[in-house]
Amino acid sequence: MTRFLARRLVASIVTLWAVVTVVFFLLRAAPGGPFDGERRLTPEVEANLRAAYHLDEPLLAQYARYLGMLLRGDLGPSFRSKDFTVNELIAGGLPVSLTVGGLALALAAGLGIAAGTGAALARDGPRDRWLTFAATAGLALPPIVVAPLLVLVFAVTLGWLPAGGFTSPAHVVLPAVALALPYLAAFTRLTRGSVAETLAAPHVRTALAKGLPTRRIVARHLLPPALIPVVSFLGPAAAALLAGSMVIEEVFSLPGLGRFFVQGALNRDYTLVMGTVVVYATLILAFNLAADIVYTRLDPRIRLGK
Amino acid sequence: MRRRGPRGVRDHRAGSRFITSRNALRLLPLLFSVPVLLAGAVDAKVLRIGNGGEPETLDPHRYNLRLEETILNDLFVGLTTFDARGNIVPGAAERWSVSEDGLTWTFQLREDGKWSDGQPVTAGDFVHAFQRLLDPETAASLAHFMYPVRNAAAVNAGAAPPTALGVRAEAPRTLVVELEQPFPFFAERLIYPTGYPVPVHAVERLGDDWVKPGNMVSNGAFVLEDWQPHAHVTLRRNSHFHDADSVTLEGVRYLPTGDSHAAFSRYRAGEIDAIGDFPSGEMDWVRRNLVDHLRLTPLVSIMYLVFNVTRPPFDDMRVREALGIAIDRELLTGRVLRSDEVPSVSLVPPLVPGYQSAVPVMEERTARLERARALLEDAGHGSEDPLAVTLRYISGDESKRVQVAIAAMWKDIGVATTLHHTELKSHFADLRQGNFEVAQAGWFGENNPEHYLNLLVSDTGDVNYGRFASKAFDALMARAHAEPELERRLDLLREAEVVGLAEHPVTPLYAVTIRALVHPRVGGWHPNPRNVHGARYLYWR
Repeated sequence: MTRFLARRLVASIVTLWAVVTVVFFLLRAAPGGPFDGERRLTPEVEANLRAAYHLDEPLLAQYARYLGMLLRGDLGPSFRSKDFTVNELIAGGLPVSLTVGGLALALAAGLGIAAGTGAALARDGPRDRWLTFAATAGLALPPIVVAPLLVLVFAVTLGWLPAGGFTSPAHVVLPAVALALPYLAAFTRLTRGSVAETLAAPHVRTALAKGLPTRRIVARHLLPPALIPVVSFLGPAAAALLAGSMVIEEVFSLPGLGRFFVQGALNRDYTLVMGTVVVYATLILAFNLAADIVYTRLDPRIRLGK
Repeated sequence: MRRRGPRGVRDHRAGSRFITSRNALRLLPLLFSVPVLLAGAVDAKVLRIGNGGEPETLDPHRYNLRLEETILNDLFVGLTTFDARGNIVPGAAERWSVSEDGLTWTFQLREDGKWSDGQPVTAGDFVHAFQRLLDPETAASLAHFMYPVRNAAAVNAGAAPPTALGVRAEAPRTLVVELEQPFPFFAERLIYPTGYPVPVHAVERLGDDWVKPGNMVSNGAFVLEDWQPHAHVTLRRNSHFHDADSVTLEGVRYLPTGDSHAAFSRYRAGEIDAIGDFPSGEMDWVRRNLVDHLRLTPLVSIMYLVFNVTRPPFDDMRVREALGIAIDRELLTGRVLRSDEVPSVSLVPPLVPGYQSAVPVMEERTARLERARALLEDAGHGSEDPLAVTLRYISGDESKRVQVAIAAMWKDIGVATTLHHTELKSHFADLRQGNFEVAQAGWFGENNPEHYLNLLVSDTGDVNYGRFASKAFDALMARAHAEPELERRLDLLREAEVVGLAEHPVTPLYAVTIRALVHPRVGGWHPNPRNVHGARYLYWR
């Protein structure tokens, strides 16, 4: 297990380095620069700005400087939010994304597993058909469609919940629901398929034949093996949800990480984009690793490190 | 706000009558909205304004964006400022005089001018501020706004020390500014944040952190209370402001409403009191349902098409003229845009006061089309060898509709148009590098003709996107720049515009309209071509 962890850690760091390198050079290749704005700069002014942000150095020197800063945990000054460092911005944005994403993940995984199990147990019955239909619809409707609809109904028309911003717990509800819906659908479908398959497994049939209570069969015999594919989906789902959705954060005006990423990319804010990419990549690697570890708990046949 | 109150009350009554489990579930959102209601009650006097995006900095010397200007205008006041209708009025200076030759400006500061920590605003603060703006170390992106000041360009390029700048404090409240050349519009130039003073005592103590909430000391009607990036910037009334008695708002909250659809929803939900833009597709709905909220204001600005005159066939004046006269501006503004935009054949926006453009009015469109076809024929682009052009524009619904309409108008004279769009940054990066044939461009800002005509001066640099160069035009502009007397200067500019546009380097189209929604409870919001609405002039009805 230790050897497995060490190997995965090294592989993760190499992956992270590769991501940082590719994004660093891709960003510099994009047309336009961080100082192109609605107002023109004179050559003198532009030279002053480039010197202040070390953009006048050769690209490789800039790259080395960036890697050095990264090793010290310094993501650098933001090129556009000149009064903040990238560390400060991410420290402000990440909790917002984690709050909304965490709630969405809990909603999606909790309800999805329950609904999927319910549908599989009532296979081909009306409840199953209804749930499968809802899940398909949920998958087919992207947040960019659902989110403005939710705002229109619950904020603008009914006035129950705020339409945007992040100043009270109420502000989290609509974005979390909108963010959760497609994942809720995905969890439902995945769980339904997996549970249905496991239902036919010999040990479950034995348990049924023994006349064990359904509740106990589901909890002890059915779900642990059936949830393995669900757990492997949990890793990427968690990374995607917690890192902040650009669409949701734009629609609900949330000051989260996804919005920083989009604004950063549009503004050619090199350091901010790099910073968010580092955070994204770290989250994805961490959750995938966590999912691998959870496997072993669910399935004794999987041995790590061999 | 007005809507939320009664609805909340009604829901409460319904809830208290039947609390069954099903109804309890329905009450859940209500429970969540209690903090929102409370927050609303506490902040009742704080005006919430959708500001179109996140400020990059609140350092008046490092700012670049219009939306930062809006916030900075409330935090600071320069030597001159604007009133509720956008007119230039005295600010931190109570009066000023200009020498005969137009080169020396002497400003007398107000006796009661104070920083928000109670310290007096002195001429020394302005001297230091101007030097800081132009010091290359500050890397101020709009330092060139102050290039009219003597030695400013040299200081900014690092060729002279900041002390060589033509500003000095003759007395604690007397500031003298020497200019390179006469510049009658200098009083207007000083309303921008680049001309604001900075509190020397705070900057020396805190360095660049002086702009952060809790540190910032300012001399305007408001002070910075809080700034959560991408969430809000909140300002509080400044009791030390010289005109604090006339300021009635307790505070202002600027929200970074980058997405106009989201801003519109939040406005309709009563979460924002004023937004400076909303999706153009909602115009009909707004006209039907929120007509008492709608404020359409033509902005001093010009949208135009620019030709890359270094690229054949656009080096041929006949081709440029043909494409220009084929466009029906009234159709663009009246049928495509439909927000009361002002069509313009002049590059200087029609709203600039005191300037009457002399660019000739064009003949009626059928005659123009006739002439355009003849011009193309002459230039060798008749029906056998029709002209094909690529028109570049900035991605967006509205600009797409405009360009599609222009392509259709060009089809009338047998020109095949390929449309090509990119997002704003790439668009202007390409334009600056001359990487285009014909492109959409726009210019806004100051309310004087030079600001626009300078775009066509040959040594203007890459913002003369089409690389237009005309000796006659340059000579007239140089004469205008040296002329201290305003009327004679305007005459020269008028003449320069006619001479320049006769070569058709650009096709002016129209002045854009600001589509704002302002709650009828907000008073003091007067439409003005600068589209400035200082919060010190706003009040709750």
